[in-house]
Amino acid sequence: MTISKILFSTLAVSALALAVPATAKITTGSNVSDMTVTDSNGVQHNLSDFAGKKVVLEWTNEGCPYVKKHYTTNNMQKTQAMAEAEGAVWLSVISSAPGKQGYKTGEQANEWKEAQGAEVTAIVLDPAGDMGKSFAAKTTPHMYIIDESQTLVYQGAIDDNRSANPATVAGAKNYVAAAMDDLKAGNAVAESDTAPYGCSIKYQS
Amino acid sequence: MRAIALTFLVWLLALPAFASQSIPVDTGKVTASLVSSHDSVAPGQEFYIALRTVLDEGWHTYWRNPGDSGEPVQIDWGLPESVSAGDIFWPLPSPIPTGPIVNYGFEGTPLFPVKFTVSPDAQPGTVITVVSNFYYLVCKDVCIPEQGSVSLPIAVGESFEDARWKAEIDAALAVSPTRGRVQGAIKKSGEVVDISFTNLPEGNFSKAYFFPHDQGIIGHSNPQSVTRGADGLRLSTIPDYLWEDALPETFEGILTYEKDGALRGTNVALAVGQSLDIGAVATPKAAIGGATLWTAIIGALIGGLILNLMPCVFPVISIKALSIAKSAHGERSAIRREAWLYTAGVMATFLLLTIVLLALKAGGSEIGWGFQLQSPKVVAALAVLLFVIGLNLLGAFEFGSGFQNTGQELTQKSGAAGSFFTGALAVIVATPCTAPMMAGAVGYALAAPAIVTLAVFMALAIGFALPFLLIAYVPGLLSKLPKPGPWMARFKEILAFPMFAAAIWLVWVLSLQAGEDGVLIALSAMLAVGLAIWFFKRKGTVGKVLGALSVLAAIAMPLSVAAVTSSGEIAAGKLEAEAWSNARVAELQAEGRPIFVDFTAAWCVTCKVNEKLVLNKANVQKLFVETNTAFLVADWTNKNDVIAAELAKYGRAGVPLYLVYNNKSVSPAILPQVLTYGVIRDAIEGE
Repeated sequence: MTISKILFSTLAVSALALAVPATAKITTGSNVSDMTVTDSNGVQHNLSDFAGKKVVLEWTNEGCPYVKKHYTTNNMQKTQAMAEAEGAVWLSVISSAPGKQGYKTGEQANEWKEAQGAEVTAIVLDPAGDMGKSFAAKTTPHMYIIDESQTLVYQGAIDDNRSANPATVAGAKNYVAAAMDDLKAGNAVAESDTAPYGCSIKYQS
Repeated sequence: MRAIALTFLVWLLALPAFASQSIPVDTGKVTASLVSSHDSVAPGQEFYIALRTVLDEGWHTYWRNPGDSGEPVQIDWGLPESVSAGDIFWPLPSPIPTGPIVNYGFEGTPLFPVKFTVSPDAQPGTVITVVSNFYYLVCKDVCIPEQGSVSLPIAVGESFEDARWKAEIDAALAVSPTRGRVQGAIKKSGEVVDISFTNLPEGNFSKAYFFPHDQGIIGHSNPQSVTRGADGLRLSTIPDYLWEDALPETFEGILTYEKDGALRGTNVALAVGQSLDIGAVATPKAAIGGATLWTAIIGALIGGLILNLMPCVFPVISIKALSIAKSAHGERSAIRREAWLYTAGVMATFLLLTIVLLALKAGGSEIGWGFQLQSPKVVAALAVLLFVIGLNLLGAFEFGSGFQNTGQELTQKSGAAGSFFTGALAVIVATPCTAPMMAGAVGYALAAPAIVTLAVFMALAIGFALPFLLIAYVPGLLSKLPKPGPWMARFKEILAFPMFAAAIWLVWVLSLQAGEDGVLIALSAMLAVGLAIWFFKRKGTVGKVLGALSVLAAIAMPLSVAAVTSSGEIAAGKLEAEAWSNARVAELQAEGRPIFVDFTAAWCVTCKVNEKLVLNKANVQKLFVETNTAFLVADWTNKNDVIAAELAKYGRAGVPLYLVYNNKSVSPAILPQVLTYGVIRDAIEGE
């Protein structure tokens, strides 16, 4: 057992050395470049189309226990509604590759949106993982907030309780709601970087 | 019969008391149970209970820092007052990459031991029931949160070990990392974070990795490049978001390494914002196949041989060749003696240079090979010297005896002293030309103890002097040299011109180091030489005195040359070059651009040849433009501690050094000293 453990570890560490290095994280405070994305209705959007509005990005995966925690308690839907009420654009992004957990076709994505009562501007389908990788998105859920001038002002977790237990949602601090409040008050976001938690995004590779 | 049955029954009933494992619980992908090191414990005793998890094939659970995603294993204890529990002794984590995401976790049968302490007031004869409510996220391609509860009764009384579980728990504890004596520090410089360690235990650190206890410190999915020094280790990687905020004093984590074929780890507290001195850095494996002492000595020998062919050396060697040709058909023993004296001159000069180098290094200076040409005074003096030799070869003057005991006179003598001083002169002018094989050997030598440095440099000296030793000893070679005749006078005159060419090159180098004033001074010194020659040809004491004064002027003037600091001029020619700095490299790496770094110096002929013949050619420039490669130049024409330290990092003590950073790894590829388009292209594309 020891030998295979060592082999496993050595292989893992060497694989790490050879692994494609993660795309450089976009530093909070930097400008978010243009990106063309396709939504569940086949409509193409460019991030620059939303200049002048706040944009919230939410990486999601229906099967992930942590995503379920927020959807079954209605927490995510409430946060989405709050953002929309303030005039923000909300994009739910699915970066799962075909055949992997969370992958959806356009139709399935729309059905899911209806079933969950999610008030989002669009569901972005990113099966190749390009959008996910350019934001260095790691988990579902993983949240990003871009302000009106296309500056990234928040990236990280949706709240401060990393458990998969739905009972923990009520007592947790919602970072996205707090950030939106800060922006509404005209202040900088107090907690602009937090460690995201959840399942790993099921990228193609 | 009844007795037997009863005994059997009692024995059956007694069994549970000896099996210190709870009833296992299958939570789905994991089967968990509690195991104890002791079947029964004495009051006041310490013992261990572990959560034993058997994972289904291919599934993993997570360490205290799960990495990019996931959740750590959690254990909550339900305990009576008579016992208390400590923290988990975590097993060594492994990185578990999935595409661009890296987690830290375990596969197989990870064991999570916890130390328990029995209260001294515990009553013998009672039973402590330990309840464990545990939770873990177990993932393969999907993630499932699982939890369960197990309980284990432990009797209080005499202390009885459970051989089986104690052995398994002890094995796990032996590998679980504890705080040792390793010192650590972590510092962010630009877009790179360097973690340095000293006081390392025995082991193989070539694949060392640091697992931080907390998230947000380093990118879990970024590789950690390893630099091994004499006193320690440095890991360089990319920082994560926590560095933007106020930092605590220490970050804790685990440094893993290999020992005796097994993976080991030690708990280290890193002092934040500091860095530790890891000592001299060993030659990286990317360079000339890891120099050992013998490789270095042989490399030095061959390098010395090749040095004879270098453009700096050739004019001076030609004088020696001439004097050998003159005496080639003289007495064999005389020739041999001269060859040995030449060798002695070479070795003595190398020895002197080595001693000066060692002394300067011991004094803390960051210098490298070719350091003497970093002083414009030396360059000017050498230029004047070569000019004088050229004049002498041309026949502008002949030296008589007397107080003009300068080196060039002595090299003209085909006698003992002449050979010795030719050897010395050859070495002085040869040093700036690092022949291809020499760089690794010299780098290794300078980083090694003094005795090794001396050995390698002596090998270099012997290699350098070898051609003449061969001519003196190999019978055939001697007779191949042409017979003396009138042609010798012509040949001697022609040799003056390579001398002048070398002097001109040195004046050009001087112009970069000391500007127009330096050139003026050097050329004026040459004028003084001309005057001295003319004066000495006059009869009478006035002539001699004026001649002597001119000679003094010619000697004094080069010493008055001062370096001009504005020689930050990038001497790279047509390629759009930027000045090199570590900060700029980090910035460009963050942008994802490939980087080509050219460590060069004006006095380095190999560097200039590479620049003229390869780097400035259209195909290389096109390659750089197409791949958006940044071209950085580190100009070492004058003394520069930062550049010298960077060269030392790659096991080099001289230039040229060519590094290519491509966006496939944090540490750069080291190119050979002889560049070709193919080599550059392969490095940039990351072959």
